[in-house]
Amino acid sequence: MAGLPLGASARATATLDGASVFFFSDTLTLVARGGARFALADGTRASADAAYVDLKTDRVVLAGHARVTRGEASANADAIALEIDADRVDLLDAASGVTRTSRALGPASPAEFDAQRFAFPDVDDRYAFIKSRHATIVPHADVRFSPASFPTSVGGVPVPSYLHSFSTGAGFSSSSLQGATFDQPYGLWGSENALTALHARWESGPGAALGLQQQLVSGDDAYATAAIDAPLRGYPVSGFNAYRRLGSRYTLSVDGSGSKYGASGHVGLGSGFLGLDYFRSTFGSSSFTAALRTRDRPLFGGVTYRLSGNAGFDAQYGGLLGQLPDARRYATVWRHGLDLSIAAPTVHIPLGATLTTTYDVSRTWYSFPHYNDSFSANAAVTRPLTRTVTLFGYYLATWNANVYPNAQALFYPTLNPPLLLPDGTPYFGYAAFSGAGMSRTESGVLQFTPNGNTSYRLTVTHAADFPQFGGFGRPQWEARADVKFRPFPNIGIDVGRAYDFDWGGMRWQPRWSFAITP
Amino acid sequence: MLLAAAAAATLFRVVPLACAGDRLAVAGAGVLRLAEGASCAAIVPGRAIAISLDADNRATPQTLTPDALPAAKIPRAAYLIAPAAERDADQTELVTSTIDVFVPPRTPPGDDIFLSTERSGWSPAEVRMDRVDARHFRLVLKLRQGARVAFRVTRGSFGTIERDENRALPRAHVAKGEPDAHVRIDVAAWADID
Repeated sequence: MAGLPLGASARATATLDGASVFFFSDTLTLVARGGARFALADGTRASADAAYVDLKTDRVVLAGHARVTRGEASANADAIALEIDADRVDLLDAASGVTRTSRALGPASPAEFDAQRFAFPDVDDRYAFIKSRHATIVPHADVRFSPASFPTSVGGVPVPSYLHSFSTGAGFSSSSLQGATFDQPYGLWGSENALTALHARWESGPGAALGLQQQLVSGDDAYATAAIDAPLRGYPVSGFNAYRRLGSRYTLSVDGSGSKYGASGHVGLGSGFLGLDYFRSTFGSSSFTAALRTRDRPLFGGVTYRLSGNAGFDAQYGGLLGQLPDARRYATVWRHGLDLSIAAPTVHIPLGATLTTTYDVSRTWYSFPHYNDSFSANAAVTRPLTRTVTLFGYYLATWNANVYPNAQALFYPTLNPPLLLPDGTPYFGYAAFSGAGMSRTESGVLQFTPNGNTSYRLTVTHAADFPQFGGFGRPQWEARADVKFRPFPNIGIDVGRAYDFDWGGMRWQPRWSFAITP
Repeated sequence: MLLAAAAAATLFRVVPLACAGDRLAVAGAGVLRLAEGASCAAIVPGRAIAISLDADNRATPQTLTPDALPAAKIPRAAYLIAPAAERDADQTELVTSTIDVFVPPRTPPGDDIFLSTERSGWSPAEVRMDRVDARHFRLVLKLRQGARVAFRVTRGSFGTIERDENRALPRAHVAKGEPDAHVRIDVAAWADID
């Protein structure tokens, strides 16, 4: 992990103070008003009526009664332009023009009026993401505001200190926290290569939770992330993951998680044509897979195919095949498989619609007399009804069979008494299941997008599977509505709710999803 | 009377850098001369105003209106000190930036596609994209002029983030706040799908 930082904090390079300091997150703009003061780590100090800091270019403009000092030296001008990480200082005098000097503030020489250096943005303070009085800047990394209020974020609570990170290294988008319905990070310490953040979360199941995550990042090439997720009701779960690009064609990844019940981990080597993955857990299980695959290759008329092969093993202390009396003999079962995937391009069909299809067929052989066959076919139809309304239809089918020659009845015995459903009803039809199953999904989606910020979507899904009956397996019918809208400039809401119809005695089983987005 | 005369005049939106005597320095533009009778009293450096120009190209501060032209439209002859090139400083205007994402064939058909940006601390399900067809998704963003939003594409979690053709994490894409900006992203692979 060459280049990884050792600490999460970096020394601030500059500070900006004012009666009001406004921050605009999309343009990475800081504007200080009401007597602005700017300071650099090398002792340079500046003041003016107002100041602007462009965090994209590290450029600073001081406007109105501007003064810059360093040690005993000083300079006054109507406006001053300087840079956080460069030596050049431009002085604008409305009567005489522009002169140029350096941070040492030696004698200034006449210079061209560079409009770019004296650009001061016309911003509307009402739309600032953060309002503060003091900003501490680490270039290309983050800004800490003390205090911070969020004028456009409904429900945003003012805090004494807030760290906003704007580093774009790939590792900053990594996470070793579990998935959550809602996750709001609060930066504690940061630098260009590291971030420590507290996460306020809502997780389906445990509910409210707090998370603490440390990210160490080396550009887009490497990262390491560790986190602990502590639900207020439940037990904590820790996780980590790390990633390293190896040359231009390979990547190495390591990840794992643990709780009071045990731990599991994975190490993988990936590339466009090769994958090596090893998993191991403290529950006594492990597996290894080596896969080779082609890229998508043309077949005919825009149709592409991809072939992949894999080999590896599954292992379990005490044996994998618990149905056998000598299960301990089968603690490790080797396997190898082939997979052919075919994708058709999106084509126009009658009634102004388009059709997209994919097909996949695979077989896996095991060192024990056993093989698994799978075939799937997916079709998606898109029919625009108006400029803003679109109808989608999906048909997804998967057939899967586990075959144990001469031992099928051992692995799929007839249950006696029969399988009981959640409401106590016996499911006699399950006796017909002997390893071959079917999954079919038919889905219709109506999408209305009146503008870029708003979207309404109604989805009706029918699942026809085997085995499936009265609460066993997937619900036969489900309806779901999703709404995405932006009630305030800095707040987007995406909310959805799904209903299952009369499935095992359960009617109107609600499922919510909710997200607040900037 | 001054305002009435200005009603018919062209207004220009400027951000003053400084005002002293009869000189008005304008951000990204240059130095203008104030008209007789006009003063610096109401001018706050860094706070946008409108100006009108008289026949001698002298500036008079006015109330800012939405139809005021950008400072880049000020005639070059009006400047006492002209910049090498003008630059419009307006960051209040919202512009449309369109992002089109094309997903690989093995993307699960019913999955939603999301943008993850630095604005949310890289929340993997920050903004859901609108589906155009089975493999094409679109999001129309309203961004402030000059905005630069770095983003990545996911299927709703970090475990489903986009990968490049070598299964490596690609650099962040950038959507720019420029009029009618457009970005096309072809996702080569997903982290969880070979």
